[in-house]
Amino acid sequence: MSKTIEKSVTLASNSVSTDSRRGFLKGMFMSVAAAGVVAPVALKADDAAITEEAEWGVKLGFPVDKYGYGQRSPYEHNVVRRVTDLLSSGDMYASVAMCPIHELEGGIITPNGLFFNRSHGGTAIIDPNKYRLMIHGLIEKPIVLTLAQLKRYPSESRIHFIECPANGSAEWRGPQFNSIQFTKGMMSSAEWTGVKLSVLLEDLGVKPEAKWVLAEGSDNSEMGRTIPIEKIMDDAMLVWGQNGEALRPDQGYPVRLLVPGWEGNLNVKWLKRLEFGDKPWHAKEETSKYTMLQPSGKAIRFFWPMEVNSIITSPCPEKPWTDLKKGDVVEIEGLAWSGQGTIQHVDVSLDGGDNWTEASLKGLVLPKSWTRFSMIIKWDGKPLVLQSRATDDTGNTQPTINQEIAAVGVESVYHRNAICSWEVKANGEVNNVHVRG
Amino acid sequence: MYMSEVRKPLLRTMVALSVIVGSAMAADMKIEKNVDGAVIYPTKDGHYQAYSVNTQSKKGFSSYGRTPTAAEIKAWNKDVMPDGTGLPEGKGSVERGDELFADQCAMCHGDFGMGGKGYPTLSGGQGTLKNQLVDAAKGDEPPVRTIGSYWPYASTLFWYIQSAMPFPHPKSLSNDDTYALVAYLLSVNEIEIDGQELDDDYVLDRAKFLKIKMPNRDGFYPNVDGGVGAKEVAKFLKNPENYGKGTRCMKGCKDGKVTPIKFELKDFKPAMSTTRDLPKEEGSKTVSKGQKLYEAKCSACHANAAIGAPVVGDKEAWAKVTAKGMDVVYKHALSGFNAMPPKGGNMDLSDATVKEIVDYMVGASK
Repeated sequence: MSKTIEKSVTLASNSVSTDSRRGFLKGMFMSVAAAGVVAPVALKADDAAITEEAEWGVKLGFPVDKYGYGQRSPYEHNVVRRVTDLLSSGDMYASVAMCPIHELEGGIITPNGLFFNRSHGGTAIIDPNKYRLMIHGLIEKPIVLTLAQLKRYPSESRIHFIECPANGSAEWRGPQFNSIQFTKGMMSSAEWTGVKLSVLLEDLGVKPEAKWVLAEGSDNSEMGRTIPIEKIMDDAMLVWGQNGEALRPDQGYPVRLLVPGWEGNLNVKWLKRLEFGDKPWHAKEETSKYTMLQPSGKAIRFFWPMEVNSIITSPCPEKPWTDLKKGDVVEIEGLAWSGQGTIQHVDVSLDGGDNWTEASLKGLVLPKSWTRFSMIIKWDGKPLVLQSRATDDTGNTQPTINQEIAAVGVESVYHRNAICSWEVKANGEVNNVHVRG
Repeated sequence: MYMSEVRKPLLRTMVALSVIVGSAMAADMKIEKNVDGAVIYPTKDGHYQAYSVNTQSKKGFSSYGRTPTAAEIKAWNKDVMPDGTGLPEGKGSVERGDELFADQCAMCHGDFGMGGKGYPTLSGGQGTLKNQLVDAAKGDEPPVRTIGSYWPYASTLFWYIQSAMPFPHPKSLSNDDTYALVAYLLSVNEIEIDGQELDDDYVLDRAKFLKIKMPNRDGFYPNVDGGVGAKEVAKFLKNPENYGKGTRCMKGCKDGKVTPIKFELKDFKPAMSTTRDLPKEEGSKTVSKGQKLYEAKCSACHANAAIGAPVVGDKEAWAKVTAKGMDVVYKHALSGFNAMPPKGGNMDLSDATVKEIVDYMVGASK
């Protein structure tokens, strides 16, 4: 099967090494030249969308002051977060709304209204005038800050993804959702603005025996997690800005903790308190949940970083190739990310993981951030099984499903980063499948 | 008119790329400029460098803020650690815990914490942690993670119940009531304290609590206790063999066969669609005060069939509720009925407001 695919598909970047842009250009040119440019389709009748005046062109539009806070086009109303009862624990308060990652129009920023929302007791609405942050425990100079005072600290902005470690957790035993939104939508990415904790703590003085920090939210669930001092002093931040505006309530307005690259729930929302101590707290969300049960009957705890991962976003079950004709040139595009570093390589397979070719990275390639990858192919209309496989600068590469299960079994719930597969059928339909067993 | 949609962008890309390629070669020599006089930036190893930083000293900013008072720290520092740090004085019996659980917890967690309503199961599961549910058709059973089978420390139980439960009204339980609930949950999990079974009249207090040894206390790794900090975790995470190591194999790497979805799950809300059209007119809906308050205060139970409370919109269920007249409905709402506490636990609401909410719920279920 793999040989047929090799023959039947022209890889645009295959003819020359992909690390040279000039080579890439040449390869592209050659494949297109070889294929001959597709002839323009002759229309039987003129297109009324062009020959008739458009209704929006013959009347006044909205005045500029119609919306104090701008709205997207009403035609985009299907681009929304979605939920399913199967991923909730009883109701929609302790649940997750999935990001439509197939609808993001490129780049590595998620619009604030589409950012995935995982909460443990509903979305708290905090009065910013009553907001207080307390930093205490093994600290020379404990402090209470108002929001205005916190914002006086020198700020920095960083682009980082946040991913729930349960992203993809419905798939340990096999594929279940024919949807990218529900297999990989428990993540989003934003430019966050706030102060690095190392800056704040330089003045407050951390006592030498402080090894752990409890971060606690002020919402219904009083979400708490223990974070080691090494991460706090490296790149953890207190953030109040999300893509240029205040954090959305569902992202912790007015202040959340940002621990770049680590499990979503460690980025405690509605942050109220940081306590420094010499022992871990063993909070409910680091014992009863967010621990990975192994076939030995023992469980891994404090698995903080999100491992190297990737997913092809186009095509995907929601965005198939049903409009493609045999011989069309098409871009395979996706997202790669790692909570432990920067994406170095993304490889793409068209034959279910038998043979691989390195894809191009495009746009911003930043640490602990979503990274776009791209590969242009000419599709001959034959079935494919598409996979992507990312490698980060720690040298870690995404495992196959078999490799991951061999290491951790099927009851870990969290941290599933095995290679994903989309089956492309001859009619262009795309289905979620697994390559395993 | 319909010029090749493929060719146009390709031509554009080629022009743009040739500019970049040209500039990259000249990068070390001089700054290249484009037609508008702007710099054409070079790339290095296929990347631009990002993120500049202000390297000035950032000391002195703690002049913003003040020292917390002892009472303020006490008010917020309510966590309880495995060694008992933070555990308050108090006491409560298994019997009292049973009453509290029946009134405030069983509607979600099931009788005796046996689960079954979508919310976490709190009891049972001992001896199941090695289970791996690979194939249900072959009779595989899943592991059941409960307080009794899985939780390593009782401290978490006290801390979590007091700060986050009961779900719709957290932070409402006294120290004594929390002790009572912990005692009850240990008893339904058949956990003994110091060799003693927890009968109905067993009274748990701080001294006894500190003697609790949870069955699965040694069930977790890497080790983080005894002052090792995060060292052992770092060692564990450094080796991807521990959790699934991939390889950058490029040829002949096939690992398994294509497996399709067996039972597709597609109960999505809203239903999946990528269509671009105008939303259906929903009409001018005005939201009443009763509806707003219902959504904020009552829907956690009354919008969820699993809990057993009549679900708003369920005509049949509400016909039964209103069968004895509205006076009875109001009375139940104000004084409590079956599993529902008085005013649904919202003691801050006036009687008149509760009646307004009831009117909305009844009206929306006709």
